[in-house]
Amino acid sequence: MSVATRTIHFTLNGAPVSATIAPHHTLLEVVRDTFGLNGARESCGQGLCGCCTLMVNGQSVSGCLTLAAFADGATVTTVENLAVDGKLSPLQAAFIECGAFQCGFCTSGFLLMATELLESNPRPTEGEIRNHLSGNLCRCATYPEVVRAVQLAAERMA
Amino acid sequence: MIPFELLEPRTLPEALGMLADDDTAVRPIGGGTALMLMMKASVFVPRRLVSLRGLGEALGRIELDAEGALCLGGTATLAALEASDLVRAHAPVITRALPHLSNVRVRHVATVGGALAHADPHMDLPTILAALDARVRIAGPAGHRTLPVDELITGYYETALARNEIITGVTIPAASAGKAAYIKCTTRAADDWPALGVAVNLACSAGRIDAARVVIGAATDKPTRVSGAEAALRGATFSGSTLDHAVTEAVRDAVAREVAYTSDAQGSAAYKRQLARVHIVRTLTAALEG
Repeated sequence: MSVATRTIHFTLNGAPVSATIAPHHTLLEVVRDTFGLNGARESCGQGLCGCCTLMVNGQSVSGCLTLAAFADGATVTTVENLAVDGKLSPLQAAFIECGAFQCGFCTSGFLLMATELLESNPRPTEGEIRNHLSGNLCRCATYPEVVRAVQLAAERMA
Repeated sequence: MIPFELLEPRTLPEALGMLADDDTAVRPIGGGTALMLMMKASVFVPRRLVSLRGLGEALGRIELDAEGALCLGGTATLAALEASDLVRAHAPVITRALPHLSNVRVRHVATVGGALAHADPHMDLPTILAALDARVRIAGPAGHRTLPVDELITGYYETALARNEIITGVTIPAASAGKAAYIKCTTRAADDWPALGVAVNLACSAGRIDAARVVIGAATDKPTRVSGAEAALRGATFSGSTLDHAVTEAVRDAVAREVAYTSDAQGSAAYKRQLARVHIVRTLTAALEG
């Protein structure tokens, strides 16, 4: 079977881009393989772990479950967009300060999910933090530090 | 995943024309969260997918119809339901269940129609909708029809949908708005697929239950109404959130006896039967507490 390709156009971390894709490519594959943005990673491949989190039109999605074709015309941002001119976001700084990771494999997903939470809810309760991040797994089990980092960032951004 | 053809129609008639009644490798795709898993596992190998994402805002609307029934569009996302003031006012049992249904990223894209058409028995929403007496609106080449949720889902991943039909929405009649509750039980981790989901919906007046709908899901092949439990509850009186012991025992017995529980990774049939005996009473209490 010959694979029909198509060209999609979207905004990636603020810049207009285009990519030639096949219908079965995931957005995660395109972001990593075409654009070399390796912050998002495929881990479980089932939408459960959050390592592949990407923002599409301002909403978090599992990049591994998103067809790239569906990003045509969309605004996509990745963890690489959080720091501005090399300066870490308050949340990123809080993650380092609180030691909210060990191996760091899951960190990009936690950062994007928590950034999304703080944008809609600047002073979340611990329960709200845990609920929003419940679809992100950290096999080093740094959950208490992650919650503390989100709380610290919230305090500093207030 | 292996390559397939992806079509992106702009209208419902166009989408219906792209489906095929006789080809199991052609399917509609909405949010895609469930289909992508099946495709990655090669359980489903599509020849053609017909995306419902471009069908416009009308198919995803959440609104009241002229009779005051709550209408959820087929492509409405679970996140849209979660945030909807209309859903909170007319079917709060759905609003309360959603934060514990899958995860934020999946809820951002997964749709009402998809949750029903997929017919995975572990999904929470079909069980809740069945308890709310919801009707599924379906479009096909011959026009439109409706089916009650518990008739739409006929078995394990099986529905009464023809392959060239599309779910356009769900209607929850205003008359079915009673004291409703849904409790699920996960056995391996808090956010695991449930081993059991119990939904009840009680129409009450002055300390008396006039009518009840009791639906068991996740532990079964499909959302299953328990008529013996519904009969035992009809006419029962309660004070506060407490029912007579004889009534709760009759309900427990019906739930244990009438329902065909299935064994799977979430637990054995015998274990789920016992979970149901316990959780049915908790769910009734939660409903009566309001």
